[in-house]
Amino acid sequence: MTGDNTIVAIDLMVEHRTSSGVVRALEPLSMTVEAGTSVAVMGPSGCGKSTLLGLLAGLALPSSGTVSIGGATISGLDEASRVAFRRRDLGMVYQADNLLPHLTVEENVGLQLAICEVTTSAGPRQEVARVLDRLGIGELARRLPDQISGGQRQRAAVARAIVHGPSVMLADEPTGALDGHSAQVVIELLVEVQREMNATLVLVTHDPAIATNLDRTVGLRRPIRALESLDAR
Amino acid sequence: MLARYVLADLVRNPRRTLSTMVGVTLGVGLFCGVLFFVDGLSASMTQRAVAPLAIDMQLVATQPIGAALTMTQTVGSPDHLAAGGETSVALEISNTGEVEAHDVTIRSRPVDGLTVVPQSAEVDGTPIVEIDGNPFSHGLGQIGFNLGTLAPGDSRHVGYRVTAGREIRVDDTALQPTYSSRENPIPVAANEPPLVDLRELASRIAALDGVAAASPLSITDLGTSRLTGAGSTASGPAKIFAFDDAYASRDDTIQMVDGALSADGAVLSAEAAAALRLSLGDTVSVRLPDDSTIDLVVTGIADLSRARSLFSSRRGGDLETFVYTANSVVVSPGTFADIVQPAFDRAAAGGGRIKAPPIREVDIALTRGLLNADPATARLETSRIGGDVVAAGSPSNYLLDNISNTLDVAAGDAGTAKRLFLFLGVPGGLLAAMLAAYSGTVLAEAQRREQAMLRVRGAARPHLLRMLALRTGALTAVGSAIGLAFGYLVAAAILGKESLDRANPSSLVASAVLGTVGGFLATGLALYLTGRRSINQEINGDRARHAIIVPVWRRARVDLIGVAVVAVGTGLAVRSGAFDGTPGSVYFGRAVTLNVALLVLPLAVWITGCLLGARIVGAILGRTQPRSTAAVGPPLTSLYRLSIGRRPWSISNGAFIVSLIVGLATCLAAFTSSYDAAKVRDARYATGADVRITPSPTSGRPYTVDDAKVFETRGITAATPVVYELSNVILRSARTSDPANLAAVDPVSYPSVAPLSGSGFTGGGPEAAFRALREDPTAILVSEEMANFLRAKVGDTLQVVLARATEVQVEVPLHITGLFERLPGFPAGADAVMAISGHTAAVPSKNPDFFLAVTERSDRGGLRTAVDSLRADAAGSGGELQIDTRTATLASDQSSLAALNIAGLIQLDSTFSLAMAVVTIAIFVFGLLLQRRREYITLRAQGLEPSTIRRLIALEAATVAVAGALVGVVVGVVMGSYFVMVLRPLFVLSPGYVVPVDGVAIAVGLVILATFGSTTAAARLVNRLEPTELLRDE
Repeated sequence: MTGDNTIVAIDLMVEHRTSSGVVRALEPLSMTVEAGTSVAVMGPSGCGKSTLLGLLAGLALPSSGTVSIGGATISGLDEASRVAFRRRDLGMVYQADNLLPHLTVEENVGLQLAICEVTTSAGPRQEVARVLDRLGIGELARRLPDQISGGQRQRAAVARAIVHGPSVMLADEPTGALDGHSAQVVIELLVEVQREMNATLVLVTHDPAIATNLDRTVGLRRPIRALESLDAR
Repeated sequence: MLARYVLADLVRNPRRTLSTMVGVTLGVGLFCGVLFFVDGLSASMTQRAVAPLAIDMQLVATQPIGAALTMTQTVGSPDHLAAGGETSVALEISNTGEVEAHDVTIRSRPVDGLTVVPQSAEVDGTPIVEIDGNPFSHGLGQIGFNLGTLAPGDSRHVGYRVTAGREIRVDDTALQPTYSSRENPIPVAANEPPLVDLRELASRIAALDGVAAASPLSITDLGTSRLTGAGSTASGPAKIFAFDDAYASRDDTIQMVDGALSADGAVLSAEAAAALRLSLGDTVSVRLPDDSTIDLVVTGIADLSRARSLFSSRRGGDLETFVYTANSVVVSPGTFADIVQPAFDRAAAGGGRIKAPPIREVDIALTRGLLNADPATARLETSRIGGDVVAAGSPSNYLLDNISNTLDVAAGDAGTAKRLFLFLGVPGGLLAAMLAAYSGTVLAEAQRREQAMLRVRGAARPHLLRMLALRTGALTAVGSAIGLAFGYLVAAAILGKESLDRANPSSLVASAVLGTVGGFLATGLALYLTGRRSINQEINGDRARHAIIVPVWRRARVDLIGVAVVAVGTGLAVRSGAFDGTPGSVYFGRAVTLNVALLVLPLAVWITGCLLGARIVGAILGRTQPRSTAAVGPPLTSLYRLSIGRRPWSISNGAFIVSLIVGLATCLAAFTSSYDAAKVRDARYATGADVRITPSPTSGRPYTVDDAKVFETRGITAATPVVYELSNVILRSARTSDPANLAAVDPVSYPSVAPLSGSGFTGGGPEAAFRALREDPTAILVSEEMANFLRAKVGDTLQVVLARATEVQVEVPLHITGLFERLPGFPAGADAVMAISGHTAAVPSKNPDFFLAVTERSDRGGLRTAVDSLRADAAGSGGELQIDTRTATLASDQSSLAALNIAGLIQLDSTFSLAMAVVTIAIFVFGLLLQRRREYITLRAQGLEPSTIRRLIALEAATVAVAGALVGVVVGVVMGSYFVMVLRPLFVLSPGYVVPVDGVAIAVGLVILATFGSTTAAARLVNRLEPTELLRDE
């Protein structure tokens, strides 16, 4: 992958074979997210939003079509290369925090650095502390996930997603389990950090208010016939 | 609706369904398998117990020697008296034999309510006036009336009157008339039917239902030097047997060496033929008790040295002991009846004292096929047949029911075996229930989210409980049905289908019901309760707290309480001698007595030990918990340390189950090895060494003391000669004397060949005792029992009559240098031991009776090699040997629980245990997957290599396996030692404790293998999980 982190999806389509026939999880879809911009993906349940994120993350492969990030065709890479891509260039935030329950907040975040084998000039302790402080949860570093609130957990999840400086950030309804205030705080932080890092952000949400925080919004419909661009600005 | 949902859930989650059901299947399979095994084994125990019997039943037809007397009693009219009534009684006694009967005495002892009318008695019309009251039972000794001598063909008529004190029927029972004579002092009842010819009696018995064969056998002891021929006389006592070809053909221990039985001739024992230098066609002269002689043409020569049916003692004191008489003659039943028996009659009539009258019996073999049942059921059948046999004979006949006596003991042993087997099976059952509970816990964890969803959709707790009950019922019902079939198949595979076919069908059905219902309830309850506990927990409970929650048993200190209970229980058992028990013995009609309550101790050791181990594992892992730091090291090691350090009880719970399984497998392996080793030791002790070599009576060459070296051939490292026979000496102390069994051994080689440990030598042990025999030619060792009888002690001198009752009998003074409790190699008991050199010096003509030898290798192959080379060498030198090995002794062990297929049960238990080990590890690994799949997927999304995740799962599973195996081995070793202690009465010698490294290694290896297999499969599943869905779900 080059320094460019533009996301290009061309004719992406996902079908699943089931006992009752072939079920289409994602209608053919093409989209481009320019480097350093953020996009909110909206649409009704079952339209394939999370499936789309899985394809962009290289966690799943499309039935047809391609995903390219920074010119590299992610959907054409082998598993090891996709793992390396995720490790190096990707940060993910989910509706559930998905923090490892037996690791403290700083360990959850530090683990991402260990996985990425990222060496920073400040060292992992200082880097993690900096990120946690930046997200306002520095004093919770030694708490276990279940010893902090849902909003704090989600901030920790954001910290984990950004600590290694990914060029692409994917967020799947990151505020879905939070109250309005916490959701707003988390989303503002996420966008702020994305801009600071000049990362490309794709965020799935149901909430139009959340979507307004991002550069633009794309909507998916079910059944998906076409990609409709709704200029959110 | 709920049922449909549950069914769909079970069908759509096949892995979850199968992993839970396998636990139930194994549990029920084990329950049923053990019960079927016991059923099949009970029938086998019957067959095994009766197999070595030489004669199933003996109907002994006592034939009085001397004159043949009969007595009839006739009661006059009326024979039914009211109080004050009176009637007459007439007795007629006749001598139908050919010799006079002396001191013929008649007795009549009317029961209470009947009185002999004074002065009413008369003999042949002459009143008896010299005795007041009842002349037929008078004085303090209730002496009868002596009629004097009755010549052949003579009769006497006796009459008297009785009066009734109450209403009474006057008959044989009321009057109890008997007669006896000097020749036959045992009273015989009047009106007894005449003696039936033995052959006719045998025919009647042979026709009975359940009797396979019945043949007449007559035996009589002659005095010493009764056989002559070709100018020689055979020294020592002689015996005459009378049986027919059918009898001989049924008993394979009667081996015709040459010729055959005949109506008028005789078959000689090989020893007698050799002593008299007779061969076929020669004439042997037999001097009978009346000093008449019969000359018989030798028509056959037989090796009778192992004929147990002939030489098993008929005396009550040493019933079934093999008492061999080398100089034996076999004649036809006709010859015996026409010539031998009358000679005894004449001897008795001539005033000669007959110490041992002839024994006349019908030896009966039962149809063994009728005994295809457990010993108690088979005993009922033999009792019925025994009753029929008695009814077929005369009232004076009596039955020696060897088979029923044996089955009595076997029935006792079978009861013990059932309890023992159930206890050996109980750990497996408990294990199955725990496995079900464990899989239930894992299943419940996996379903927590689903249950939360159902609650969100409006399902109340009762709905969830009903669904749980339906799910548990369905899983357990199907699992139980499969387990039932599985248990039957495994029991049939291990025990053999024919054994199960022999089992009582109703017993099998009962076992099937008990095993299925018991397994259904135990595993079902375990599954249900764990699921219910999960439902009762707060769905959104604290995940971290849940991960580090300390198990209830640890908080309640169940393990520590258990240790205290085991310690106290063991202490009490040792102090009260509860581990000692009572060994079983067929000869004493005694079954093994096991203190079954003690079997609770090994079970307590097992569970407590494993809990304690889990506590230690949990504590150790908890201590590895690292401090929180952002500087996380390499992902694999860091995640592993964090996981086991912060979730130690997850590991220790898995390790607990694995340790239970490995512990049980170790215990069973150790118990089997110890049991086998003890049985081999017992058999070796009974044989006297690995091999006992007895020169055959038909051997072409004699074997002397020096021939011990001859036997040290291929496969045999040492051999030692032994002179030994029953009652071959008389030991005389200053106080008393007694016939005794003396063993003359080589004090140098015998201790190195015979296993002397456990012989109970007093003062310095066996080394000192045999050193004394080596250094002092006048030394003798005496059994404690004999020393007590003789009232002799160490240092006393005994006069010892060697080669008793033979021509070379000689008396030597020996002094006691030591005492012993028992000696190996002499199952019938040795009362004294002296050096064989001293014996040979005193009785030069006496060659060793047998040799004991130790083989190079102790396994069966080593024994076979030794036996083959011995036979080959003997054949080459014109010798012929009878060779007994310790394995043959073990195989013919009829006593106690030798018939128990312990190894089979252990195999069954081990099969299920190891299957459970595999399932447990698999459940643990797949449980990890179910519980932590989101963690693993998150790590994948974070960029962790799938191989690292696979190794992480493998490391945690390996920790469980290794920790469980280590704890299990330690606990199993301790548990096994308790089992051996509890089952000590099964053995003659105190059993040693053997832990088979290979057996334990197999169990541990299998657990490790299962770990790797499961993690490999689990890793594949991790790769196949749908990350998008999992990461999105909350």
